[in-house]
Amino acid sequence: MKKARPTPLEYTRKRWFQLVMLFNFIFLYFPIVALVAFSFNNSRRNITWNGFTFKYYVKAFHNESLFDAFLNSLIVAGISTVVSTILGAMLGLALYRFKFPAKNAFDGWIHLPIIIPEICMGVAMLAFFSRLNITLGLFTITVSHIAFSLPFVAVVVRARMAGFDHSLEEAARDLGANQWQTFKDVTLPYMMPGVVAGALLALTLSLDDFVITFFTSGPGSTTLPIKIFSMVRFSVTPEVNAASTVLIVITLILSVGTMVIQARGGKDKGLPI
Amino acid sequence: MENWRDNKLVAAILIVPASAWILIFFTLPLVIVWVFSFGERGPQGQTFLAFTLDNYARALELIHLGILWKSIWTAAITTLICFILGFPLALGVAFAPARYKNLLLLLVILPFWTNLLIRTYAWIAVLRTRGFLNFGLEWVHGKLDALFSLVKLPDVMGTFQPLALLYNHSAVIIGLVYVALPFLVLPIYATLEKLDRSLMEASLDLGAGQWRTMAFVTIPLAFPGILSGLMLVFILSLGTYLTPVLLGGTDSMMIGNLIAQEFGPARDWPFGSALSFLLLYITFIILWIRAVVARRSKGVSY
Amino acid sequence: MEKLMGRPLTRRSFIKGATTLGVGMTFMPGIVWGAEEKQLNVYNWDTYIGENTIAEFTKKTGIKVQYDLFANNEEMFAKLKEGNPGFDLIFPSDYMVETMVALNMLVPLDHGKIPNIKNIDPDPNFSNPAYSPGMQHAVPYMWGTVGIGYRKSKFKTPPTSWKVVLDSDAYKGKIALLADQRTTIGIALKYLGYKLNSTNPKEIDAARDLLIKQKPNIKSFAEDNGQDLLLSGECDVVMEWNGDIVQVMEEDDDIGYVVPNEGGVVWMDNMCIPVGAPHPGNAHAFINHILDAKTGADIANFIHYASPNAAARKYVLPADLKNPAIYPAASAITASEVIIDVGDNARLYDEAWVAVKAS
Repeated sequence: MKKARPTPLEYTRKRWFQLVMLFNFIFLYFPIVALVAFSFNNSRRNITWNGFTFKYYVKAFHNESLFDAFLNSLIVAGISTVVSTILGAMLGLALYRFKFPAKNAFDGWIHLPIIIPEICMGVAMLAFFSRLNITLGLFTITVSHIAFSLPFVAVVVRARMAGFDHSLEEAARDLGANQWQTFKDVTLPYMMPGVVAGALLALTLSLDDFVITFFTSGPGSTTLPIKIFSMVRFSVTPEVNAASTVLIVITLILSVGTMVIQARGGKDKGLPI
Repeated sequence: MENWRDNKLVAAILIVPASAWILIFFTLPLVIVWVFSFGERGPQGQTFLAFTLDNYARALELIHLGILWKSIWTAAITTLICFILGFPLALGVAFAPARYKNLLLLLVILPFWTNLLIRTYAWIAVLRTRGFLNFGLEWVHGKLDALFSLVKLPDVMGTFQPLALLYNHSAVIIGLVYVALPFLVLPIYATLEKLDRSLMEASLDLGAGQWRTMAFVTIPLAFPGILSGLMLVFILSLGTYLTPVLLGGTDSMMIGNLIAQEFGPARDWPFGSALSFLLLYITFIILWIRAVVARRSKGVSY
Repeated sequence: MEKLMGRPLTRRSFIKGATTLGVGMTFMPGIVWGAEEKQLNVYNWDTYIGENTIAEFTKKTGIKVQYDLFANNEEMFAKLKEGNPGFDLIFPSDYMVETMVALNMLVPLDHGKIPNIKNIDPDPNFSNPAYSPGMQHAVPYMWGTVGIGYRKSKFKTPPTSWKVVLDSDAYKGKIALLADQRTTIGIALKYLGYKLNSTNPKEIDAARDLLIKQKPNIKSFAEDNGQDLLLSGECDVVMEWNGDIVQVMEEDDDIGYVVPNEGGVVWMDNMCIPVGAPHPGNAHAFINHILDAKTGADIANFIHYASPNAAARKYVLPADLKNPAIYPAASAITASEVIIDVGDNARLYDEAWVAVKAS
């Protein structure tokens, strides 16, 4: 049977459009492929191809300081994700649900952490914590990460809630559910994909951050980006590439896992950002 | 939408924790930097509190405005290229068959989830004289050369000269586009995803062509997302700091690098703060323009 | 996770992570609980210590070492400027020591707790440096120079003057200078016959104009990666710190290093204890450990930098001792200068540098 001609809105079935998409994906993945390829290069430097080896993976795995940095990153990202997701989701819900005075100004203010240049925020945090005699360390890093991740979660959750049918809540209330029960059984399940997406975003923002982390870190709180930055400064060994490749693979596994969970969650398609 | 007065307790529980967090752990720190911007640098790089506008006057010197101007047009070009690349990408993901949608979206976001520094560093391996791109071009060149000599046209191609792709401003723009692309794709995807398709179908049924439908129906409908995406990319590129350091040539200093230099080697925090707030004021102006534009186009909420 | 990291996530390492978080959560910095706990927080450059130096110290003293990294003096200074976040031992360079002493950011060292200080070369450059007379606040750790790294096959004779990178188009597009403002402007000053630390605006302007004129011939102001540019063939001649060039010389015989006749920059990194250090006693013990002849030689042999430790020299690899990129000729050192803090005049350098980068 002959395939039906693509309808006008089925862009992805048009040859020219597929070519454009292909070009875009090559652009997105060209450096990633380069990075992964050099992680198998049998040379101390990423200059010429000297043959295939796994030894930099072994080296990266046995690099204790790299592992400690990774552990620090996980601790920071874990706490930052949980807190910023909870606070951000609450805020997003409130912005969807309530009218209040000066809401536009409030809205703008809440979005400041997205807007502010990283370096400016980093210096501000350093000055703030030192003035209050708060020891720099994982705590200060985490607090700062929450501050800049939170608005992203709020935006995602709010966007998700925009499609919510408010009459469902009213129906629940009419059937005798109290406010908490209504939230738990009606609103929260609908909100959940947005919360998961926001959490994912917060997690990646935290794992990726270098500038603000640098300014807010203290003894014993070297995170992965700080460690990688100092390694890169000295000389780029394939060890860095190997560590990055492992991270890419972990991210991929995590993301696919989340996607599967989200898909099971119902009709939601992709991240409702 | 409920009025907060009708449900004060719930409104407070939802709003106060996040607002307090942003107030204490973001706004107050920012106030310190703002106070710094009126201070003075001590001989050893101390920050002396004072009230002087010297730092702002210095920030407005021609040479610094030149750097700012360079940052602005670099950010503008980056935004434009991002749009050209990113809009079809967002369109492709939003209109993909449901079963591929999640996968495509994941593939778009995945590079964004790897460390910025590592990504930028990978571009060095791609773009340098003995990088992947030049190796690829050399291979193509060699094949063509062989082909020409086969048809008795020796040496039409000359010897291969690797392109100088790295350590110039184009490399910075390539790097910036790469860094910023997802910030454009995601908001546009979000609006396209929620779009009422029947409007486009109606336009097509009524005889408007594919391109006219795109220009007069699809783009206006996706406008809020496009606007947010363009603004995000522009703001991010304007304040960039790492990309010019790693990919730039001798003339790639952008405002973010200048600010970093003042906070770093120059140890002049007051001047660095003044520059930061100059950048912030500019961002505010851009956001304000965006808000005005958004208010004029109907049905847009921030 | 266990498989991925090739190392089990033991309870100890988890607790370690958890306690670091706990320490970070303490709101009061540097509480001294009578006797010092067995802990030392070191803040150093990356890859700048021997392979086993820390392990040996911990074995000998039972003191655990927390090792954190910075990439340049300014980063380190920025972190300490608003108050010591808890570091016990830092490794600033010469001019930074001077600045930090002036700002009362360093603790005077108790030489009585550092018996090995006798191992420091009696040459006054080391034992009595201008930035810290009598080693009162700083003990030299490693030293080196800034010179020219070059690809031998591209030169008939080794370069003898900074002219090749600063005032010539012979290697157009194949030149990299350092992105460090004081070093690059300072060397331009020396090439022009002025002092490295000139505070004369006219001289600094002349150096600025020289650099602006040379810009079309320069590929990059390298952010500590000139050695990679040299090795990858991106550049043929670079202004670099000697240690970076020594690294690539090991991999490529075609790379050489010289300190030109005009002289370059001599730098010295030091061990200092910042004010507010929670474990100053342990820091003294660590300094003493590093100054041990064997330990000092182990470090020098691993990182290939010149050691100011005279007693260590007999254990240093003969090949390193003969390598002019590590231990330069006496004439080169005499011609070179050390960067000093120029106080308010720093703004002259800053503005000159912005002009070079922006023009």
